Amino acid sequence: MAQEEQMNQTSNAERPTLNVELSGGATTSNVKRQKSYILWRILDFVLAGVFIFAGLSKMFDLDPLIADLRHLQFGDAFVHFQQLSVASPVEFASGIDNFKLVPWPVSVALAFYLPWLEIFCALGLLFRLLYRGALTLLIILILVFTLAITAAKVRGLDITCGCFGHASQHWSFPSHLATNLAILAGLVVLWLNAAAKEKRAD
Amino acid sequence: MKSSVVAQAVILAALALLPAAGEAIHFRDKVSWRSAIAPSEMVTVERAREWGDAAIWVDARPDEEFAADHVPGAISLNEDRWNELLPQFLAVWTPGKKVVVYCSSLSCNASREVARRLRKEAQLSDVFVLEGGWEAWLKKNR
Repeated sequence: MAQEEQMNQTSNAERPTLNVELSGGATTSNVKRQKSYILWRILDFVLAGVFIFAGLSKMFDLDPLIADLRHLQFGDAFVHFQQLSVASPVEFASGIDNFKLVPWPVSVALAFYLPWLEIFCALGLLFRLLYRGALTLLIILILVFTLAITAAKVRGLDITCGCFGHASQHWSFPSHLATNLAILAGLVVLWLNAAAKEKRAD
Repeated sequence: MKSSVVAQAVILAALALLPAAGEAIHFRDKVSWRSAIAPSEMVTVERAREWGDAAIWVDARPDEEFAADHVPGAISLNEDRWNELLPQFLAVWTPGKKVVVYCSSLSCNASREVARRLRKEAQLSDVFVLEGGWEAWLKKNR
């Protein structure tokens, strides 16, 4: 009887300890999950920022603004921001035409279309709307850009890709390639993470 | 899962079409769908020759090609040595003079780029690209 009582007491005394351990483990796992979510979101924001900048730099003449920011002249940057002028689509169309891959009318159509596609996909990344579709399109875009600049280099065409408008005008081929590959790596990692999450949810 | 990714991509691609179409309509008078250079910015060999001394000829080809042969009186101004050659060009240029830029042939881009930079960076207005470039000039003059 006394033994039975002791057993009951022991069992009751252990139960809360077990519960504390369980909830402690769950909290750690939640913190880990939150941390990893924040890291993925940071990558989302960085890549979305890159593509929004890429899209806008083809639509607006950002040269004076970038120069001000580079020299940390924020006052001048604010003035230039208010005076932003719309860049002629002909400039980007000429950039595409320089690759000699598509006829001029297609270059013009792409000059109108690509900046918007980049911005819409970037917004998809920012707000996690149509997320995997946006990532897929951005991966395709960056692959095409990378192949195009590589093909141009192989064919001996001394041109810039125009990927970031005027900002990338004086970039060398290795810096273009390195930037594109870094962006591609980031996008692929995000895509794989999204696919894994979707699989887990299924 | 695959179909949902494709559907999402199609939706985004279709959404981007709308503002792009709006922009194309907005720029319909400023962008030529036929040629990279607006007809008003091009000039034929005959027309450029009619301008005589009122025009400055600018050779946008690389230095070696310019050294081999060029339009008589032409000034070399290529993108490889832009910063070095631009002051030399501006020393010769006077207000009111027309500028005729040429490169190798119809398919080259150098003349287009040099003309664009002269308009934008040097703020010149009467800048024209020679139709057919150096090849066209040779045909009409030799």
